[in-house]
Formats: sequence, C-alpha cells, structure tokens
Amino acid sequence: MKIPFLRLYAMAYLLFLYAPILLLPLFAFNDATVISFPLKGFTTQWFAQMAENEALRKATLNSLLIATSSAVMATALGMFVARAATRFRFPGKGGVVGFIMLPLVLPEIIVSVSLLVVLLQLGVSLSAFTVILGHVLICTPYAAAILNTSFGALDRSLEEAAYDLGETKFSTFRLITLPLVMPGIISSLLISFTISLDEFIIAFFLAGAEPTLPTYIFSQLRFPKGIPMIMALGTVLVAMSVLLLTIAEYFRRRGVARTGIKDTGGFL
Amino acid sequence: MSTSRATMIEFDNVHKYYGDYHALRGISARINGGEFFSLLGPSGCGKTTLLRTIAGFEDISSGAVMIDGRHMENVPANKRPTNMVFQSYAIFPHLSVAENVGFGLRRDPRSRAEKARAVEEALEMVGLKGYGARAAHALSGGQRQRVALARALILKPKVLLLDEPLSALDRKIREQMQVELIKLQREVGITFVLVTHDQEEALVMSDRIAVMFEGEIAQLADPETLYRRPNSRRVAEFIGVMNFLPCQVTGEAGGHIQLEVAGLGQVEIEPAQAPGVTRGGPASVGMRPETLTILYEGQQAGGREAPGVVEEVVYYGDMTYYDVRLDGLDHSVRISMRNVFGRPVLDIGTRTRVAWSPGALVLFR
Repeated sequence: MKIPFLRLYAMAYLLFLYAPILLLPLFAFNDATVISFPLKGFTTQWFAQMAENEALRKATLNSLLIATSSAVMATALGMFVARAATRFRFPGKGGVVGFIMLPLVLPEIIVSVSLLVVLLQLGVSLSAFTVILGHVLICTPYAAAILNTSFGALDRSLEEAAYDLGETKFSTFRLITLPLVMPGIISSLLISFTISLDEFIIAFFLAGAEPTLPTYIFSQLRFPKGIPMIMALGTVLVAMSVLLLTIAEYFRRRGVARTGIKDTGGFL
Repeated sequence: MSTSRATMIEFDNVHKYYGDYHALRGISARINGGEFFSLLGPSGCGKTTLLRTIAGFEDISSGAVMIDGRHMENVPANKRPTNMVFQSYAIFPHLSVAENVGFGLRRDPRSRAEKARAVEEALEMVGLKGYGARAAHALSGGQRQRVALARALILKPKVLLLDEPLSALDRKIREQMQVELIKLQREVGITFVLVTHDQEEALVMSDRIAVMFEGEIAQLADPETLYRRPNSRRVAEFIGVMNFLPCQVTGEAGGHIQLEVAGLGQVEIEPAQAPGVTRGGPASVGMRPETLTILYEGQQAGGREAPGVVEEVVYYGDMTYYDVRLDGLDHSVRISMRNVFGRPVLDIGTRTRVAWSPGALVLFR
C-alpha cells in the first residue's frame, strides 16, 4: 500500500499548529487550578472570575481603546501613503516610502527603547496615548502595504470618468474611490487592530501604569492560581478572532461579488 | 456629413512637455462643429495626449485650446463641455447600468422620474433598452462600450472624446460598432473626436483625419485626400499599402513636372501630385496597389503599360494580390485585382503586362 506521506505531513503540521489553541477551552472549563490531565470536571467559574476581575476589565478596555485608535489612525495614514505612492510622481518618493515601511524590519525592542527615551526627554508621561503612538508607528507599514494593493488595482480612468462627468475631486473620492477600495480599508483596519491588540514589547515599555491585555496576562502568569482564568480569557479572545475574521471574509466576498473583480483569495 | 461648419475646437500652437520629453510640438488645428474627427498615429505619437488636453486631463505647456470660442485655460475637466469614452470604458463596477448612465445627472435639478426617463432614452439610443437594472460588471465588452457611450452622451456635451474605444473588441463586434458609431454621430450631431492607431478605422469613420507622428500633425485631410494624396512618404506608408519606385525629377514644362521613373520610364504629372516637393533631384513615386492592373492576353491598356514577371500570388477569395517585378526594377510592386468569374488566377513566373496611369502617381521627396 502506498503511504500518503504528504497528507500525513500536512495533518501533523496542522495538529502542532492548532492543538495548543484547542487546549485553551478545554482547561477553561476544567474544574481544577492545575493545568494537567486528567480533566476533573466541568465548571464555568473561571469565566465568572474573569468577569468580576476589575484589573482585567480595565486592561481589556485599555487594549480595545488602543487597538481601535491605532487601527483607525494607521489606516488613515496608510491611505495617504497609498494614494501618494500610486497616483503621484515626486522626487524622493522611493526614499520616503522606504522610511514609512522601515518599522516592518526594525526590531521592536529598539523601537520601544528609542521611543521611551524620546518621550521621557520630551517630558511626556506614559499612558495609553503613548502606546497608541508606538502602535500607529508599527501598524502604518502594514496598512500602507495593504492599501497600496487596493489603490494600485484601481483603474485610474474610473476616477477621471467621474471627474469628467461633473463631480469634484472630493465627491469622486467619496463616490468612486472609497467604495472600490473599501475591502482594502477593512482589511487594513482588522490587521492593524489585531497587531495592536496582541503587541507586547511597546505596550510593556510605554504603558506606564495602564497595562494592556498582553502585559496584564504576562503579569498574571506568576500566580498559578490565576492561570485557569487566563485560559478562559484566551478562549474568549480566540472566539472573537474567529468571529471577526468570518465577518471580514463575508464582506470581502460580498465586495468581490458586487464589483465582479477577480477573486484573488482573502484571509480564509 | 457635418451639419454645422463653425469651428468647435481650436488648437493654437500647443506644446506639451513631460520633463524633458516634448510630447506635443506645436499643434495648430481646427475641428469643426458636428464633425467626426480622428487623431490617427502610431503609439507614442501624442494623439492621446492631445485628446486629453481637450478633456482637461492634461495641462498644456504653452499655446491655447479653445472649445466653442472659449479659452480652456483654467477650466477644469469637470467644467468643460466635453465628455469622454475611455479606452478601458471606465464603467463603475459597483453601480448598476442605470446608475452608471445616470451618474452625470447627479447635479441635474430635474426630478427623479425625469432623470430615470433620460437614462432609459440614453440606453435605448445605444441599443441597451431594458438593461438598466443589470450589474455593470456582468456586461460583455461591446455592452460596456455602449454603456460608456450612453453615460457620456446623456449630458449632451458639445464634444464627445473617444480614446481608442474599439481596440478592446474583437473584429466582428468592432466593425459593427464602427457603423453604429457613425450612425449615432449623425443622429446626435455632436462633434466626435476619436483617437485610434487603426488607419482602416479612421478611414471608415471620419469626416477628417489628423495623422500624427512624434507630437506633430503630419497631414490633416479628409480620408480620400489622405489616401490618394498623402503629403509625405511616411503618411503614405502608414495609411494602406503603397508601392514606391525610385525616380529623378528631370524638369518642369507647361505647369507639369517631368520624371524619369525606374520601371515606368518618362512620366509627366500635375503639381497637385507632388505635395511638398519643391525642387528637382532624386525622389520616389508612390502608387496604390489598386491603381495598377494586370492585363490579360488580348487586353489593351487605356493608358500606359509596363512588362514584368509575377513573383508572388496571394489569393483572398474576392481579391488576389500579385507581387510583380517590372522590367528594370530591383524589387516587385504589389497589385490588387478583384477576382472575376471565369478569369484564372495567374501562376508565379508568368510574364505579364501591367497597366498604370500617370494620374495615380504621387511624388515624394
């Protein structure tokens, strides 16, 4: 019999990739403080404990605020970059775009330490705001790269046609450009949001006394009693991620169907 | 043919630079109202750039563009009395056919019902009645073309600009659309300015054609003049097929130009047949394939004849193309003959006689 090596390899690969994530809900509902087999019994107490935890709620709200703000700002900046890069020619364009993309390859620890030094020198006190600044810096290259593709794929004569038919530059952008690059904008928002939400190093250095979810979780790992609650938190986060990606993919496919652009594959 | 003869568009010494590149080199021309005008030339000759200066998408470096007597400097594209059909059609993919066609009416003060009627009329005009509710991206190439036309014409512009509108269609639909465009233009009476690299398309559709090379208009004339009396060898080569024979200008007498043409001998032509030639010396004459006729045995030439040998035969069904080497010539000339029932196609190597007439010659420097 022929052994399907490739199939076995692919299955093993997926197992190692996702099995740890499957352990999250398993132990989140397990009635024991120790994370080990055999399972003891079913409980929802860790979720209840999570819901009551004031520090966790603050960290979550903090993270949501930071991730939302960073995503919106990075996407807005990314749109400027993408439009400039795809529509205009100007001296030094390559260099400018290169500088904007640089944070992609800079070690985050270097970025964090430099930002910390600069902010302290300027006398800015550390808060959620300083984390947002750092996250916008690292999210903007991703947003720019995604939006570059969207703006680049847009036929320039569509904008010219709308302008030719009597619209202003601004109404052309609103009526033609924006709806057609919307899938890119949604992707950019989601990816920036996700990057910001689970970013640790910058948040660790710049958050001051306002921990984000990752820094809070890290701080809780020192206390074994708190671990089942972290498992419950992880379960909620995974469920939310799946939901968010499903929604994004739904909108992307609807956009593809509506505009008849060739489907080049999405996130899923 | 055109209904009004007043000048609709005027170019006055228009120059356009892209950095160091000189894209338009002093264009001066007038396009009449109600005319079907074509800008014809190879790619990179500046024809699209010139069209875009009418639309307002390109600023000119110097000179002036006037539309209907109005100076267009500082008039942006959205305020010009022109509309454009783009090479890619630029159909808005997220809107329906009716929304596409009615796009330009957004600022129109008319009621919603009146606008809907205008959209329906425009669709009917281009043969897409009842297509309004369809998604624009689901249309075929020819249908997109019609939507683009309806969308531009619904605004009743003074000038309709067409940027290679038929180049993306396959041959059958293209020929059908050519005829429809001509009919449509006569119906609406709007000035059409067409950009094309296809000389046949320009000849079929236009009242007048400007042939452009390297940012300059080489010749501006009606299709027949352009075909029969090209003013330079380059224009003659670009439009249709032309045979060139080397010759010497030997003198002028009684208002005629005397030539010594290789393979044809002594010839006298009218000055009108020598556009752009001013002095004697070496030159060449051009002859279209259909002005030459192969004489069968017993046939007599009305004018003059030259002997030669058939070197190549290309049979097209209704036509046959012969390459014949005339005695005293080092290359062959192409001759097109309409096939007639009962007359055999000649074989390669046959000795034959070719009838020609001095009136069909064009002299080039």
